[in-house]
Amino acid sequence: MQAFLKIVGISARQQMTYRTALVAGLFTNLFFGILRASLLIALYQGETSVNGMDVGGAITYVALSQAMIAYLTIFGNTEMGRTVSDGSIASDLIKPVHFILLWLGRDLGRSLVNFVVRGLFFIGLFSLFYSLYFPTGVGRWFLFVISLIFSWLLNFFWRMLVNLGAFWSPDIQGFARLAFGFSQLFSGFVLPLRLLPDWFSRLSNWTPFPGMMNHPMEIYLGIYSPSQLLGAFGHQLVWLFILVFLCLVLFRLGIRRLVIQGG
Amino acid sequence: MIVIYSIKILWLLLKTQIRSQTQYRLSFLADVFTTAIFSSIYFLAFALILQRFETVAGWTLGEIAFLVGMTETSFAFMDLLFSGFDPDSFSPMVRMGSLDQFMVRPVSLTIQVLGSRLILRRLGRVLEGLAVLAFGIVTTQPDWTWLKTFYLPVVLVCQVICMGSIFMMGSTITFWTVERIEAVNILTYGGNELMSYPMNIYPRWLLFIFTYFVPFIFVNFYPTLYFLDKPDPLNFPVFAPFLTPLVAIGMALAAYWFWGYGLRHYQSTGT
Repeated sequence: MQAFLKIVGISARQQMTYRTALVAGLFTNLFFGILRASLLIALYQGETSVNGMDVGGAITYVALSQAMIAYLTIFGNTEMGRTVSDGSIASDLIKPVHFILLWLGRDLGRSLVNFVVRGLFFIGLFSLFYSLYFPTGVGRWFLFVISLIFSWLLNFFWRMLVNLGAFWSPDIQGFARLAFGFSQLFSGFVLPLRLLPDWFSRLSNWTPFPGMMNHPMEIYLGIYSPSQLLGAFGHQLVWLFILVFLCLVLFRLGIRRLVIQGG
Repeated sequence: MIVIYSIKILWLLLKTQIRSQTQYRLSFLADVFTTAIFSSIYFLAFALILQRFETVAGWTLGEIAFLVGMTETSFAFMDLLFSGFDPDSFSPMVRMGSLDQFMVRPVSLTIQVLGSRLILRRLGRVLEGLAVLAFGIVTTQPDWTWLKTFYLPVVLVCQVICMGSIFMMGSTITFWTVERIEAVNILTYGGNELMSYPMNIYPRWLLFIFTYFVPFIFVNFYPTLYFLDKPDPLNFPVFAPFLTPLVAIGMALAAYWFWGYGLRHYQSTGT
């Protein structure tokens, strides 16, 4: 546990080092956020509410999803996959922490910094341009935070699963790009799932992706009824189990194939 | 003479890139294909949301497809051609000092940077852009006059030049900063996104910036209004759609000057 916390701390400090990059990222998120909000406002023209979401809700949805880009690493990365290709995975495998836990720690440290700098600061900046909804009850905040933690875990294990592909293929870049593209679409990051056709959101509910973004956002906005709320948490939990299981199995299988060349 | 020589060198450099990247044909084709699919995700999502809303600011799906198709095609083509000036790959060249090696060679530095990288899989995005544009043209059935037919390829070329200029300027900044500046993305990827929708949907202040400082509004929005015979919601003078070449020339000159200025003030990192 102590080792794990140490990893988290080091990773957080590492992330804090690149302050200009953090600020630049913040402004890029802000610019794209304004574009996305403008598009939704233009779409809503004259409509008060579409499928249970009003324009204020849609803007808040955009704000939150932009704020969570860095925290959830929504565009994905192939950092771990690269350590397989270049062999530096060897030094990670001899560490006294389980390999997946090691990366979980690294990701957590970075995400915590991003949550504050590119998440909370972003919401502050964005609310200078648009008025956002904020839940009033403590209960809803609580449910939102729980769901957000689950969505972080889902995102992490999804990324890990894609990266584990590196044990089987020397170049996973193309495959990973496509995989992360699909997760952006089906998670409701590109556009809120509620505003897409019903058949599409039903389809996406068969994948783990809505739990990575759409569920926490709708819980925040208070759109879900109590039974839908239960369903959303159930969906997140079930998929979390499945993804963790798949990651552990693939890691076991992959590690047996791993050959690291010396030199 | 020097021009022909430079072009020959550039072609030689690019040919080696093409050959090396197409060595494994199947893997290359798969890469192009996945890039095409990946790039179409955002347009696909937009097409889906229009099922609920039908139009955006009075624009139909086909009309938006025209806008998106234009900017996607030219952005992707620029991204392919100017791979060497992609701040993502240019910044490491400055950091590692490989740019210094270019400087001692008797060939124009610009040519060498252009020839240093050509990411061929980006062809996938060009194909995606062309497919969206074709869809836009087929569904909107623009009224083609000879002037429009002539002007369409001109606009596409101008868009490539505008975006390429931004790429070059973004790379030049790394002479001072060494690290790539993520904020440049606002103008490159952000510019592409910005131009994908009718620009009168944006807030006033943003429109002001992209009319008078970085005049992106004349690069895609106004020409498209002209091609599709749509009324101008912003009441600009009638010649607004024809400012595109002027903007392209202006941006190219600015980029060329800034690149030269950067080179004269370039100090190696010493690595």
